[in-house]
Amino acid sequence: MGFMKEIINRLKQDKVGLVGVIGVALVIFIGFIGPFLSPHDPTEMYKSHTLEGPSAAHWFGTDEFGRDIFSRVIEGAKVSLYVGLISVGIGATLGFVFGLVSGFFQGWVDHLIMRIMDILFAFPDILLALTIVAVLGPNLRNTMIAIGIVFTPVFTRTVRAAVISVKEMEFITSAAAIGVKTHKVILRHVSPNILAPFIVQITLALSGAILTEAALSFLGLGIQPPDPSWGSMLNASRQYMEIAPWIAIFPALFIIVTIFCFNLLGDSLRDLLDPKLKS
Amino acid sequence: MKKWFGFCVVMAALSIALVACSGDDASSGESDGEATPSGEQILKIGNDQEPAGLDPHTVPAHSSVRIYEKVYESLLTLDENMELQPELAKEWDQPDDKTYTFTLREGVTFHNGNEMTAEDVKYSFERIMAEETASIAKSYFDKVESIEVVSPTKVKFTLSETYAPFLSYVASTNAAIVDQEVVEENGDLMQTAVGTGPFKFEEWEADNHVKLTKFEDYYQDDIPKLDGITYLTMKDESARLAAIRTGEVHMTTLASQSIPLAEKNEDLTVKDYQSTEYSYVGFNVNKEPFNDKKVRQAISLAVDRQEVSDIVWKGDAVPSGPIPESMGKWSIDVTEEEMYQQDMDRAKELLAEAGYEDGFDTEITTASTYPDMVDTAQLLQEQLEAIGINAEIRQLEWGEYIDTWTNGSHEMLVGRNSSGNDPDRSIGFFFSTDGSANVWGFSDERVDQLAEKGRTTIDTEKRREIYNEAQERLVDLSPNLFLVSPKKYFVLQNNVANYTPTANEPENFDETIIE
Amino acid sequence: MIAYTIRRLLMLIPVLFGISVFIFLIMKLIPGDVVSTMLGTEATEESRQQLTEQFGLDQPFYQQYFSWISGVLVGDFGVSLRTGKPILPDILSRFSLTLELTLLSAFLSWLIAIPLGIIAAVKRNTGTDFGVRVISLLGVSVPNFALATLLLLVLSLTFSYYPPAGYVSLLEDPLKNLQMMVLPAIVLGTAMAGAVMRMTRSTVLEVLRQDFIRTIRAKGASERVVIFNHALKNAMIPILTIIGMQIGVLLGGTVIIEQIFSLPGLGQMVLTAINQRDFPVVQGAVLFIAFVFVLINLLVDLLYSYLDPRITYK
Repeated sequence: MGFMKEIINRLKQDKVGLVGVIGVALVIFIGFIGPFLSPHDPTEMYKSHTLEGPSAAHWFGTDEFGRDIFSRVIEGAKVSLYVGLISVGIGATLGFVFGLVSGFFQGWVDHLIMRIMDILFAFPDILLALTIVAVLGPNLRNTMIAIGIVFTPVFTRTVRAAVISVKEMEFITSAAAIGVKTHKVILRHVSPNILAPFIVQITLALSGAILTEAALSFLGLGIQPPDPSWGSMLNASRQYMEIAPWIAIFPALFIIVTIFCFNLLGDSLRDLLDPKLKS
Repeated sequence: MKKWFGFCVVMAALSIALVACSGDDASSGESDGEATPSGEQILKIGNDQEPAGLDPHTVPAHSSVRIYEKVYESLLTLDENMELQPELAKEWDQPDDKTYTFTLREGVTFHNGNEMTAEDVKYSFERIMAEETASIAKSYFDKVESIEVVSPTKVKFTLSETYAPFLSYVASTNAAIVDQEVVEENGDLMQTAVGTGPFKFEEWEADNHVKLTKFEDYYQDDIPKLDGITYLTMKDESARLAAIRTGEVHMTTLASQSIPLAEKNEDLTVKDYQSTEYSYVGFNVNKEPFNDKKVRQAISLAVDRQEVSDIVWKGDAVPSGPIPESMGKWSIDVTEEEMYQQDMDRAKELLAEAGYEDGFDTEITTASTYPDMVDTAQLLQEQLEAIGINAEIRQLEWGEYIDTWTNGSHEMLVGRNSSGNDPDRSIGFFFSTDGSANVWGFSDERVDQLAEKGRTTIDTEKRREIYNEAQERLVDLSPNLFLVSPKKYFVLQNNVANYTPTANEPENFDETIIE
Repeated sequence: MIAYTIRRLLMLIPVLFGISVFIFLIMKLIPGDVVSTMLGTEATEESRQQLTEQFGLDQPFYQQYFSWISGVLVGDFGVSLRTGKPILPDILSRFSLTLELTLLSAFLSWLIAIPLGIIAAVKRNTGTDFGVRVISLLGVSVPNFALATLLLLVLSLTFSYYPPAGYVSLLEDPLKNLQMMVLPAIVLGTAMAGAVMRMTRSTVLEVLRQDFIRTIRAKGASERVVIFNHALKNAMIPILTIIGMQIGVLLGGTVIIEQIFSLPGLGQMVLTAINQRDFPVVQGAVLFIAFVFVLINLLVDLLYSYLDPRITYK
């Protein structure tokens, strides 16, 4: 698709964006391939080696159960990315559908959808996620659903705004005038045109999802042990931050780098895709 | 543009002022535990949980008990050897098995100036026993038939049948003597507290602090020494650690993980005591495969309690049976029990005999609120893998956890119990067929008999034998896996003197002073 | 303008109604109830029934909803089931804390982010731009609770510093209050700075490319005048949007920071109440937060038209 090619071409010129792309690619690579590389089972307890610092056997040290932090961080990449991708996937899909319907048909459908989104939006993110998880029960799947719902209003608004602005454009009105069916108009013309703001929103939401999962872990409603997510590892490490700083440092480092790269990428994409900024 | 500029200047000035204040505080704000400028001795305690109401008759939460136990008193109290001692009753006797009379201390007043009389005693117990109070102590006094005021200082209780735990329950903090007038004025006792104890309740600001002040007219001279206690709510462990290190509070509780750090600090003293709590794994004995005693025993044999102590409690926990060590004479030495000798081969054999030679899949439910429970669950999961049991951890938020506990909708459940005042709680309350906390579906004729006998036997030595047998039977049948009883800690500034925590009264500040 | 304001205010009614129903339903759906959390392992069948009746939890739930909402409509938020305390006064006193914290941290984030955003935009694609973006993004990338824990640890160890314990309100003791608020505001402010910086940067960039700026430049105005008098002024509107959103997010998002720094704010109130299933408290507090949030958004919208006369509302 020409659209993607153009993005890639432009990204090549933007060094900051490139750093983001490489970082994101690396994290995804670790997430998918990592578990095959990790030297230990992430849940295996080496009980005679609890709270040991980095060594040749345990590159990032061990935690209070003697589990290998390196292997856990790698496994955590998988879990955290999984959470990010699925929950943003849920939010983006719902938002896309609602936004499209809302923006295109307007009228009472629009009103209804947007008021529901207003209701969701008026809830503080973390409290909304917290209550949803509390209702559904804390586990990986429900955490993702909760974060997905939290992100839905933002996506809906983004898509709706884009749809409305595109709809006003001449070529759409003329397409309708020559008798092209509505759903065809949507699919053929509107969707590609709203992709730009949508993609930017996705990269930003991905980092938001990882942070929200971390926050839920702090509140005791994140991923279930013994499976590690970076957020839950970091939260569990708080008690040991002073005695065994490596337990905290490595998951924190990975969270920071990942979110950092997602944001860089998002920023660059925004600049690149914004037609007003085309130089 | 000017609007914005003006706004920015004001805000910038404000923020500089802020930074400046916070800067000089680093030197001047350090109280280092010294008494307040006026020379008042106010003990500041970093409190890990917010109290959940102050009614001694209805609120079981420890965060509340630690506060109202200083404001209220009961007729009797228990000393560190679990022996009865006088409190508001200066003496008591038992003309026959079913009758108790208490002679009250004279000249005791409530904090509002009202005199404490036999009428108040009668009122307090009737309040506990009244259904609409929904008192947690109601079941303690189900056997009470009538309460009679003999004279202003004498009150007589008549029971419907012999009930051995009666006096221990009278000594419970939940059997506090309250003032009728106060209850009627306020409707309930959740927000206010007027008792006869050494400290008066002054104010409670939610999620912020509870203030108690010295009760000048306390009937014991020279008690308390302190002018007041301020409980500052600090839910986060790292906040409490930082606050005690910098002298912002005089004392606080910390988890075992932080204790080595406090011990290293020269300005701090660590005091510990064996708690009345023990951790356990509850089985739903109605569900397969836990309906088979052999499966439960196999799990007991596969579990390494020492490891639980070492990893979850940093070594500061002792193996416990149904009655933890801190209950003194009532508890048995479980280390010799067959079920406590880790033996993988025997465990596998038992599983095979029960028909699970390949193990099975199950679920361990735990509460996310308590890191020690989550850690215990993770450790058990790992230990059980060795005998082929694949457990998944289900971590619940507290409200749902309690619900699961109540409904028995779990398979294995990690929890922590407190043993209370009387062994009847540990045996009858948790394990007799109709015990109100028997959520396990457990029913054993012999245990029921023993619980009943324990309740109706007054002679201490005989009672002890009964409960010994009951404990051994419970350990063998393993409806619960009794794990370990941890130590608890208080960390204090070196200048806090005359304070020693004990299992049944960890926070007695009667003699405490700040030097 | 006035007609528009009134119309917008009227539109809040269905939204607030929806929120009240939504939060009510959610509280009904959460497993566990206030009676269980209250009595814990001490519960007996009798005491459980007694409390359930006392709290009216045995009534059909539409009836519970109506008795709750009819109270709320006349300003009676009811009392906490757990502690028997009236809810509304508690919400208001806690709100003052949360609002103060929100404003302080929002302000701190603008203080960092707006100048940085301008610099980054002016020096687009230079080392400075990159540096600024890296710094402001770092703040967004660290989970709040980790930064807060680290800050407490480092300050207590190296400077033996801990904010004064025992919250006092701004009115009681301004100096002590501000000392307590500085650290939490820094943590929240750094996290927010990234978003504001990003918005400032891109809007300033956008404005700098517009024709009228070129005209002004062509007329020989100094770069300083161009940026401060013209570009920034025009960039203020989108920046305002994000600030409005940011305040909304902060209002409910301070819960973790309040917990770590032992501040009795709204977030703490909701969290404790959720854990204890004290549903009138959760409902009241969430409805209140949502109400403030929609009001702020409305205010921001109205501010737009004030700052930018080109925007008119039908």
